[in-house]
Amino acid sequence: MPYTIPIGPYHPALEEPYKLSVSCIGETVQSIRLDIGFSFRAIELLAQRRNYLQDIILVERVCGICSHVHTLTFCTAAEEIAGIRVPDRARYIRTIIAELERLHSHLLWAGIGAEDMGFQTLFMEVFALREKVMDLLEAISGNRVHYEMNCIGGVNRDITDPEAILTGVKQMRAGIERDVVPGFMKSDTTRARIAGVGILTREQALQWGVVGPVARASGVATDVRSDHPYAAYEELGFKMVTRTEGDVRARVVVRAMEMQESIRLIEKALRELPGGVLRAFEGVPVIPPGEATARSEAPRGEIFYYVCSDGSDTPTRVKIRTPTFVNLPALEAMSIGQQLADMPLIQASLDPCMSCTDR
Amino acid sequence: MNEQNESILAATLAGIPGAALFEVRGHGLWMTAPDIDVLHMARAMISLGFRLSTMSGTAQEDGETEVIYHYSMARTSLNIRTQTRGGALPSISPLERSASWIEREIHDLYAVTFVGHPNPERLLRPPQLEEGFCREPGGAAGN
Repeated sequence: MPYTIPIGPYHPALEEPYKLSVSCIGETVQSIRLDIGFSFRAIELLAQRRNYLQDIILVERVCGICSHVHTLTFCTAAEEIAGIRVPDRARYIRTIIAELERLHSHLLWAGIGAEDMGFQTLFMEVFALREKVMDLLEAISGNRVHYEMNCIGGVNRDITDPEAILTGVKQMRAGIERDVVPGFMKSDTTRARIAGVGILTREQALQWGVVGPVARASGVATDVRSDHPYAAYEELGFKMVTRTEGDVRARVVVRAMEMQESIRLIEKALRELPGGVLRAFEGVPVIPPGEATARSEAPRGEIFYYVCSDGSDTPTRVKIRTPTFVNLPALEAMSIGQQLADMPLIQASLDPCMSCTDR
Repeated sequence: MNEQNESILAATLAGIPGAALFEVRGHGLWMTAPDIDVLHMARAMISLGFRLSTMSGTAQEDGETEVIYHYSMARTSLNIRTQTRGGALPSISPLERSASWIEREIHDLYAVTFVGHPNPERLLRPPQLEEGFCREPGGAAGN
């Protein structure tokens, strides 16, 4: 006779709320049920009552980790409606912040993942590195979490001393290569705990429509940075990371290798940072009637915005689709037949963000 | 999208009952087809290899809801705009698993019924509240 264990809505490891009801026979998971909405703030509705400048502040608060990519995607949609071409220097700065943000997100996740594995030493090392990337973001933007770099038509702040940032990035590279990559990719402790756990096959990944590192770990070669390049990814020559195993370890390895690629992109962008202005125009943006969609690769996968304008200063419709919204339902495919004790790890391997999902 | 793929896409879309011509705007293809057969559309998109990014619902003054199906494949994004018929649309979830939460959210916030949805439960708001939070007159979504 199956029994049901409720997990959440408040989780010991994940700081965000959702409820997972796991039905088991013995220790084997038979089915799961997900309940979300505990952080629903109706942000789409609020965005349709504020002007474009206020909306940038608002959508930055959809998520506390991938805040930059939300404003980037919102601004990209508005820029497409208005036919605004973003200056080269601004495109590069957007890319640098986006990749620093990815480093921050992946490191945060890696720390939580290490703790869930019971690997406390790695957790400590990873979180020390996370502080360093937050220092870099603070050095550029003045903020550790909500960077407020994007505006419609460009960026708000310059990177005035790329060499100083490069020095910090080199330290990050050393730390990631010394601690994170061996810790997640070569350690026997890690391999024994996560290899073969929570498998999502390529067919299942396509069926559930997952995105980001979860898709790439199942052999689905999808990444907006190469599928539909934006900002400066085309010039910088982004290289996608994929694995075929589809298990928790593959998702870990994809993120670890993506951190190295992010470092490479940041270094190249800083070295090749073009000169010129930061904004296409000065003053308040005027968005004519029209509609556009925009996609970007957030740390957790594709983020999608639809913006519709009637020519006023307030958009008539703002639709936000975040990566966890499509990744989380696939937890069902990863969980059935797995051990109950592995559920925290399998959940964590999705890197779920409920603030984004519920909006 | 090259010319050959565009002609295959155009021919496939033209074969969907209720479809209209699409236009190219910015980086996307857009079609407005109020009476499109959405089940036929979903099958056609799957056969072409398009992925459902999401669906956008917008409340209309006549009580219906505009629904845009946003598909993507590599650099091509395809947006098919339709609208509910008597507050309902056929569910594409049995064909496209990733549509399940999207339809449940639109049902929750706009009170759209997706006929044939395998699990038509509310998604975001507590079950004891009324559906249609984003179309409450003078309330949450009021002008």
